[in-house]
Amino acid sequence: MWSTEQRNRLYLENEVLHREEFTQFSVYWYKETDTYEASGNTWSNSGKLYTLAIPIPSGFPQARPPMYITYPLPLYAANGNPISRLGVSHDMHTLAPSSSGQVQICHWRDNRWHSGILLHKVFLKGLIWIEAYEQHLATGRPLAEFVSTMKEYA
Amino acid sequence: MTTDPQQQQMIREAMKAIAERRPGRSKLVYDKTKRTIVAVTEGTQTPRALNITADDADMFGVATLSSHWLTERWGTLLRDRMIPVRFSSWDGGDALTQLEIGPLPASSLVEGVVVLGSDIPGPAGASLRIALHPGKGPVSEDSTIVAPDGSVHHATAHAQRNGEDHPLDTHFVDLQPDLALRRSSLLETNVLKDKTVLLVGVGTGGGHAAVELAKCGVGRFDLIDADRLTVGNVVRHPGGLSQVGRLKVNVMRDMILDKNPDAQVTIHPFEVTSHNVETIRPLIARADVVICGTDNRPSKLLINRLCIEENKTALYGGAFRRAYGGQVLRVRPKTSPCHECFVAAMPEESTDEEISSQQAADAVAYSDRPVAVEPGLSLDVLPIANMLTKLALMELVADTSSTLRVLKADYAAPWYLWLNRPEPGTRYADWPALSESIDEMTINRWYGIDLARDSDCPVCGDFIATLAASYGLDPKNFGDLAAPPAKE
Repeated sequence: MWSTEQRNRLYLENEVLHREEFTQFSVYWYKETDTYEASGNTWSNSGKLYTLAIPIPSGFPQARPPMYITYPLPLYAANGNPISRLGVSHDMHTLAPSSSGQVQICHWRDNRWHSGILLHKVFLKGLIWIEAYEQHLATGRPLAEFVSTMKEYA
Repeated sequence: MTTDPQQQQMIREAMKAIAERRPGRSKLVYDKTKRTIVAVTEGTQTPRALNITADDADMFGVATLSSHWLTERWGTLLRDRMIPVRFSSWDGGDALTQLEIGPLPASSLVEGVVVLGSDIPGPAGASLRIALHPGKGPVSEDSTIVAPDGSVHHATAHAQRNGEDHPLDTHFVDLQPDLALRRSSLLETNVLKDKTVLLVGVGTGGGHAAVELAKCGVGRFDLIDADRLTVGNVVRHPGGLSQVGRLKVNVMRDMILDKNPDAQVTIHPFEVTSHNVETIRPLIARADVVICGTDNRPSKLLINRLCIEENKTALYGGAFRRAYGGQVLRVRPKTSPCHECFVAAMPEESTDEEISSQQAADAVAYSDRPVAVEPGLSLDVLPIANMLTKLALMELVADTSSTLRVLKADYAAPWYLWLNRPEPGTRYADWPALSESIDEMTINRWYGIDLARDSDCPVCGDFIATLAASYGLDPKNFGDLAAPPAKE
């Protein structure tokens, strides 16, 4: 059950996304299950399509929301193996994948997350991760080498 | 006190004879010429002089019973002439402590019986027999008990060990008056016994705070923790090796009751997650103060939000890595910075946490970059636990004319910092040595630090209103969000 504070926060998160010109992303309400998800299709600088999805946890915003790449599925590493097989990886900046094998991007660790971080910033880190991922594909080097500026501090 | 086995045996025989009011082989006699007490044993030509001192009284073991327990059963004793009672046997039978006195039994138990009058035989199998003899005062002796009808009884005790009879001293104890006497001069024990403390996390810090609060006479505890005591915990946690494997909440419940037997302790062995909000909220609502000693941020942020919503003061304590220091944050809702304000204002300090368990290590590490478990020393965590306890007490007696009231100005700050050592690689590495500093910050001192509330805090401030206003939005006009687009 969501509190009024939570529903207002999510409504505002959606407004911020759109006003910050992240119009490819929105926060949606699944009325039947009374659940929320922020998601959208985005294109990398090279023009490839990706779908990012953030299922909103019931403890949001105190609880950190996970961010998954739901398309392409599976998402392959430069060596041809699904990235989801790596699990929690520093080299690829990933956390535990979803049960269906969707890669979870490490945007903030639990011990760094706080309620003042907006979904707008989370998606921003998702976009940075995608660009770094494509550099990983092009070079075979660990993705972590391309996101050294992706500090966890807000 | 004599250590001569022969003298001890003679004294024991003489004392036994005196206690049983019968002639024995040995007698204690005052020898005027030697100006000392001598033991005279039949068949012995020369009396042995004994340098008996007051300590010789302690050469006998002790059987300890609750006088409250016995007087409550006095009617049964009058009717049946005997009451069975079980004892913990400590130190090879040197101390026999009635089980009802504390929650932690010894590994060896002894069946005993209290009988009214020396002519009542105890039941078979009873290894300890305590006989009550009607008499007159003085009632101040440990072995004397006053019955509900006002009659005075003196106790003599005998234990059977290895087929031998061993006299014991009997001590009747009155638990609550004895416990309260030691703390009532400084603390409002009448106030504290009705106060409730919720401890979220009873590891090293929370566990020690719980025991200290029990010693102070706090009467009600709610304990939340899902962990079990491990061997590795024992060098820091109040629980010992004999309790390894038990849930920490059970270990701490027994330790609290061992210090304050009248305390009401309720255990809640679950994790603090958003799935348990509706279970945790009423515990916060009924608490007078909340102590959060968990080792992860998500639980602290959750407890913070609930405490703000329930308007309850909370204390957050934690050690820095390898316990080179630590901090305590006191949050008084709407009047001092909350934990979210603290996290936003002090990002470095709020993430400097001790890695005391594999679970904590996993929370900050990637599987391909493991983080070592590096707990600090217990003695380095205890200052933080003591500060948590002191601040909790201040909250519990805040509305009384407590002696602690004089500390109000000393503990006015919301955030307290302590350093055990100037850890290399930290901003404290260059602190001056304790012996050289006059007025600079040093190790081994508490610093109360003022910190402003964040008026735009997402939990205790107007985050949504302020953020909405910055985009020209009015929360009053917020509605439902759209449904997701239909999938192609």
